[in-house]
Amino acid sequence: MRIVLRLIVVAALAALGIWLWTIFFPSPEHIIRKQLTKLAQDVSFSQDENNLIKMAEAQNVATFFSSNVVVNISIPGHEQATLTGRDQIQVAAMASRQEATALDVKFPDVIITVAPDKNSATADVTLNATVSGDRDAVIQELNITFQNTGGQWLISKLETVQGVTRPNF
Amino acid sequence: MTVPSESGGSPPARPHWLQVVAVGRDPRKTAIRILVLVIFCFVFFRYVVLPAQVDGISMAPTYKNHAINLINQLAYVSHGPRRGDVVAVRAWAGKHVMLMKRIIGLPGETVSFNHGRVFINGTLLDEPYEKWPCDWTLPPIRLGLREYFIVGDNRTMRWQDHYFGKVDRSRIVGKMLL
Repeated sequence: MRIVLRLIVVAALAALGIWLWTIFFPSPEHIIRKQLTKLAQDVSFSQDENNLIKMAEAQNVATFFSSNVVVNISIPGHEQATLTGRDQIQVAAMASRQEATALDVKFPDVIITVAPDKNSATADVTLNATVSGDRDAVIQELNITFQNTGGQWLISKLETVQGVTRPNF
Repeated sequence: MTVPSESGGSPPARPHWLQVVAVGRDPRKTAIRILVLVIFCFVFFRYVVLPAQVDGISMAPTYKNHAINLINQLAYVSHGPRRGDVVAVRAWAGKHVMLMKRIIGLPGETVSFNHGRVFINGTLLDEPYEKWPCDWTLPPIRLGLREYFIVGDNRTMRWQDHYFGKVDRSRIVGKMLL
């Protein structure tokens, strides 16, 4: 009985050690997942936000991207857009807050592949966005490339992927 | 032949009613039953039937917004998807959010729209589920050997605003049960 107890204590300590290790030394995948969750929160906004908060959050959205980021977005029912650089991201984030009254963004599915050199990673993501007033949610697959710049994982490329291939007319 | 003596041994004490309600008369058997039930539910709702909620109006009026439905993941074990089936189409990254569409074109076929009517290999497709007017006119598109053409039942919006088109067989998760 005493041996069983000791084994349980050792297993619990090992689990605690592993958990603490992941807290203090998170894997790139863990950091990127966290980044994406934060990005979704910062891109989202509600109608009761005042202009100051809107401005601050729009500026914050740009910090997730590298200075030479390229964003290619093509979503059915919306204009195709290409953005380059943080400034354009910030302008777009601010514009979305002025055009729509509320936006709820989620990334329900994320697959992350980290390059062997641990300097870059790609994330295949499903975007689920609900714009206030729209009856249909936007469901879109995204491919996001991250670059490790000085310990920070920043988005260097973001593009939409056509899972359902629409005919090109 | 032996006869149990009337005086020997007292009958086992009946468990308290609260214990019977909480863990049953035999807690070990109850634990095994719960374990079996949990394993069954895990396997059933992960690999056989997926519960889903309809979000959006692209399949109206056949499926209403916020309706609950089930996806039969074993529907296409013995045969491939068929024309008219309403299927769930997964994204590459996972199955938490899926598209719910109707199959109108099968592998190798040519699909086109003319003033809202669907033509398969040049022949008009009968679509009794289409209740609302549609004015889409789109040139023919040929499907590959593993490709299906999916589209929603609600085609009242502009085609530019609607998710539809070719999808690979591997993306089709299953058929809607209800």
